[in-house]
Amino acid sequence: MGADITLFHWEPNANSGKPMLALAEKGVEFQSHYLDLLNFDQHKPDYLKINPQGTIPAMIHGDLVLTESTAIMEYADNAFDGPALMPEDPRDRWRVRWWMKFMDQWLGPSFSMIGWSIFVGPSVRARDPKELEAAIERIPLPERRTAWRKAIYNLFSAEEMAESNRRIGVGIGMLEEALTKNKWLGSDRYSLADVNGFNLGYALPMSMPDLANDEKTPHIMEWLRKIYERPATKAIWAMGRAPRFTERVKFLEREPQA
Amino acid sequence: MSLILYHGEPNGPSLTVLAALFESGREAELVAVDLGAGERHAKAPPARLVEMSIEGEGPVLVADGEPMADSVFLAQYLDESGAGTLQPTDAYARWEMEMWCRFVIERVAPAAAFLGNRAHLTPTLQAMKDADFETLVGRIGSADLVARWRRERAGDYPEAQLEDSRAKIHQAVRKLEARLAGDWILGAFTIADLETYAWLAGMVSVVPEAFADAPKTAAWLDRVKARPSVQRALAQARSNDPLQAWAPGPEINRWG
Repeated sequence: MGADITLFHWEPNANSGKPMLALAEKGVEFQSHYLDLLNFDQHKPDYLKINPQGTIPAMIHGDLVLTESTAIMEYADNAFDGPALMPEDPRDRWRVRWWMKFMDQWLGPSFSMIGWSIFVGPSVRARDPKELEAAIERIPLPERRTAWRKAIYNLFSAEEMAESNRRIGVGIGMLEEALTKNKWLGSDRYSLADVNGFNLGYALPMSMPDLANDEKTPHIMEWLRKIYERPATKAIWAMGRAPRFTERVKFLEREPQA
Repeated sequence: MSLILYHGEPNGPSLTVLAALFESGREAELVAVDLGAGERHAKAPPARLVEMSIEGEGPVLVADGEPMADSVFLAQYLDESGAGTLQPTDAYARWEMEMWCRFVIERVAPAAAFLGNRAHLTPTLQAMKDADFETLVGRIGSADLVARWRRERAGDYPEAQLEDSRAKIHQAVRKLEARLAGDWILGAFTIADLETYAWLAGMVSVVPEAFADAPKTAAWLDRVKARPSVQRALAQARSNDPLQAWAPGPEINRWG
């Protein structure tokens, strides 16, 4: 089956990591096509032929092209055999969808803004200014052009960073509460919401230790560790190339019992 | 299984959910609330996931005591617990429906709410006494939704965002015009038709030029409106023109 599935992705992290982990959980083999986000591979002509929007990830299945990470995960769950990654009960399904939208549109962008401000921007900023300006001009979506410009020239206002931090605080509280109600996020069965949430939050205990730790958010910590221990998660994070991503997930390793 | 639907006037998210309910064949108690007066926060049972719904002011469906929000997901819930006719079964067609609905949710709905509120809600909010407005927003549990209420009362509609919102309505009509080959957006009638209609119908009077040269879209608007489920939803109206009923909706993308 793997022969006719190609996934275009960056590191196992955030949007790229979502379909990678969902496919691994389904037991679906895929051809991996790595694109270096920091080298603007996603805006190069070869890739724009596949996804004219220039966003990562994208998946080719036979002669179909799928885009948008959450929608690709849902497609994979519907199209391929393997364990179901959506619960059966309609109300559980509602909760799983609610959480994915909340993460994709509200909580995720706040994490992303901070990640782009402290990591993505500084990673590329030192390059030749003309080259960077040309790279920005090649970005197809105006929203993405604005995002890259902000990251490269560090144009984030104090207000919007404060709002992102406020949202992260609120979101962590909501996640902790949700994980006291159900075994997994939104339902009692491992689902796409957990795959989504892990990609969003796996680095939290390391990057925001004051907000996410064993005292304040024990349910989040246990949830992340349980997902980290799944064979699919181990296999996907082993595909990472940049040490930042392959190393920081190891923070979830449990301490050996004395 | 008991169902109670707290819905606003049949426009925007309330129209989607009312029509999806009638398509699904499920029975629900209907409770009309004035979303533009913030009544949802006073009358529907409180719940964190409803308060924090990305959609802003939309209907609340209470299923066996659990309050739920977000019109597309409520429509999916009703379909999956009911007749099961509103979503394709083929995985690719399903992906197309999800993508289409995301386009409406993320791009069209924030733009339509911005323009619709400016045209219809702001004058009402400005006529309110300060104390009454503070009581209204005091019940709302989401700080960014409160900020949208305050912006709408202040009439704070920057020209760049107005221009961008109008461009998004134009884009939506162009996309619809290019896509429509038969009666419905994806071939068969789906939640995508309901959600698109619900947000665009009220834009015909606010951004008329977007609809000027779009005959397929005009015929599609008539077809959706003529569906028995949509007619039944429209019959729930308590005002003369439900297309003028707006309330603070989803926020305009703040990042990416």
